[in-house]
Amino acid sequence: MTSRRTTLPTDLLVDLVTNTADPGYAAAAARRGPDAPPRWYDRPAVVLGCLLVGFTLAIAYVHTHRSAPAAAKVHGDLVARVKAAQASGNALEAEAQRLGNQINQARAKALPGTSLGNELQRSQLLAGDTPAVGPGLRVQLGNPHQPTGTAGNGRPGTTPISGAQLLTDRDVRSVVNELWHDGAEAMSVNGVRLTPTSAIRFAGEAVLVDFAPITSPYTIDAIGDSDVLVTSFADSDVASRYHTLASAEGISFSWSEQHKLHLAGTAAVAPQYARPTGTTGSR
Amino acid sequence: MIAGLALAIGVIVGLVLRPTVPHWIEPYLPIAVVAALDAVFGGIRARLDGIFDSKVFVVSFVSNVVVAGLIVFLGDKLGVGGQLSTAVVVVLGIRIFGNAAAIRRHVFRA
Repeated sequence: MTSRRTTLPTDLLVDLVTNTADPGYAAAAARRGPDAPPRWYDRPAVVLGCLLVGFTLAIAYVHTHRSAPAAAKVHGDLVARVKAAQASGNALEAEAQRLGNQINQARAKALPGTSLGNELQRSQLLAGDTPAVGPGLRVQLGNPHQPTGTAGNGRPGTTPISGAQLLTDRDVRSVVNELWHDGAEAMSVNGVRLTPTSAIRFAGEAVLVDFAPITSPYTIDAIGDSDVLVTSFADSDVASRYHTLASAEGISFSWSEQHKLHLAGTAAVAPQYARPTGTTGSR
Repeated sequence: MIAGLALAIGVIVGLVLRPTVPHWIEPYLPIAVVAALDAVFGGIRARLDGIFDSKVFVVSFVSNVVVAGLIVFLGDKLGVGGQLSTAVVVVLGIRIFGNAAAIRRHVFRA
């Protein structure tokens, strides 16, 4: 009894695979007997059935091919909108830079050689408002190369721990702070000029510098007295820490003295003025 | 002959009308397609076997669609709709393959 029960599902499966004909046809043929006369509804029924079948297949085809392009269209529209917004943002920034340069030139003409003009220029340089050129130090910091053949290593869509982003905003920030400490006068991270109000943050897998996402490898350019920069940076805790990390975790870390670095100015600085709030104690 | 013509007309009508599929039918569309293919191949095989019956053809198609749809509907309500949908497709797919093999033996004698 029990053995029969255990074989039953197997029999069902074998029957399913081997006996694929609809038993209804055989049963109907047996019931009607051989050489039965055709009935009046034979032909219309076949026509109706075939019409239904064809209609079903066509609907499925139309439905599948109508919804897929719609999704792709929405995606394409969004991509186009993002690209247009980026392009107009870049154009506006270039325009702002151009106008800023005009202002600087006009101001340089109006204030030739005065101490006020020099002070303004120095302030603008420190604020990242004007482009900076000079010798300096370039530090490069990169995540380890992602192992490519991770098939079978976890489900698709998941990131294996070993391939996770090792470097975060803290790493970029510590290098930047070390360079400020070593006497850098102007700095940029992956081409984004740092200003006194710049923030280096972390969102998802991207490091944000003033809300501009940048990805590994991180190139930090610092303009300053290059000899001082190199020696101070080489002696720093930060450099030795990333050397250790580079040998242990496989991140890439290097720096080099540069004779001439070009740092673009940023137009994103909106000055904020401090205002005295009346006399203390008054409300 | 007339069956093939009707099939073509059905396809053309569907392509010309391009009816919008109501939202609640969408999950049952793949089931209906597989049931339709099964009915077609089963019908052709029965024809070649010489036991074709128009009533069985129509009733088997309609009932296959309805029953498969009911199974999936019930599965949706009980939280196993996707799996039952797969089960229906597998069973009908095996039948389609078996019928196609039988047709092949009839046509090519191989």
